[in-house]
Amino acid sequence: MPRFLLLILLLWSTIINAQNNAIAPGEKLVYTASYNMSGILTDIAQVTMETSNVKTSKATLLRLKCTAATYSKWDTFFKIRDLYESYVSPKTLTPYLYKRNINEGGYFKAMKYTYSHKTNIIKSVQTKKNNRIENKDFKFNLGSKDIVSTLYNIRLLNYESMSVGSKKTVTIIFDRKETKASITYLGKETINTAIGKKSCYKISLGSQSKILEGSSNNLLWLTADENKIIVYGKFKIPVGNGELKIKSASGLKN
Amino acid sequence: MKKLFTILAIIASVLAIIFAVLPISNLAIIPSILALILGLIAFYLSKKTGQVKKIIQFTFLLTIMALVITTYKAVFIKTEVADTKELEATETKSEEEAIEELEELDINEIEIDESELDGIEL
Repeated sequence: MPRFLLLILLLWSTIINAQNNAIAPGEKLVYTASYNMSGILTDIAQVTMETSNVKTSKATLLRLKCTAATYSKWDTFFKIRDLYESYVSPKTLTPYLYKRNINEGGYFKAMKYTYSHKTNIIKSVQTKKNNRIENKDFKFNLGSKDIVSTLYNIRLLNYESMSVGSKKTVTIIFDRKETKASITYLGKETINTAIGKKSCYKISLGSQSKILEGSSNNLLWLTADENKIIVYGKFKIPVGNGELKIKSASGLKN
Repeated sequence: MKKLFTILAIIASVLAIIFAVLPISNLAIIPSILALILGLIAFYLSKKTGQVKKIIQFTFLLTIMALVITTYKAVFIKTEVADTKELEATETKSEEEAIEELEELDINEIEIDESELDGIEL
């Protein structure tokens, strides 16, 4: 019986911290975020997802960096320069440090989470304009992750073993609150992308919060290979659709 | 009826010109097409009564201008990200700070290696 319990515990831990065989340091994915109204696309921003190694005296971590920058035509109207980072274990993508620095049309906000996996406590520091600093410690559940590591963790799921319609639940920590999100596997689909014709895993994202309203409105296409890179995304917004299209991909692991 | 179509054509053509000068110039196509259709209907109805108002011709002029601006922007203006120096500086600074913060952390590998599972016998 104790052995059985141990195995269950180990299997559970593996589900929470799946092994990374999809993401390597040096990977760079560039996307175009567009607004689609009645089939007419308007490019808004460039989104870049990059990985690199970060060495400390104790360990080598993987830096997951996401940046969003509006195209120059938008800069005079609404300039966005966002930076999201997560410093994770290269093996399992368990986060240790999360940083967010957003600059959107003059609105500035920075957020930092320092994870303590021993105590399950996150030390957070929020900085707003005029250096208004707010410290807050809060508890998090085992397996909860920030938005950046969740985005990369989606790539570690084994979609081949999932049946169409099956769901996985993940907990995202955003703005110091935990939100449950569900990932539903919708099957395979072949789509044309800027990096060629790709067979993809189609998944839908849903959550209880307003960030991702409705489960069938937010869709992602991940390449059906070992890398499982996001090549296309579709998000429902009040008028029309938001789209995320891959522009280029380099430094892939497989 | 003629008045209604004329007013709608004016609104659509004004919207088209506004969209055309904004970064969402691609979307100017929708009000432009609407303005053309409404303008043509208003033109046809006016012709029936024998008097074509100058304002209808003006909506056509506005719509054509909107379409020219939209086409010019779509063909000649490159979609690129500029002015990223500040962002790059933030990235570098953030990484340096992160390394310092990570040095202070007690990073222990809490993850379980899959190979550990292989060794377990029931």
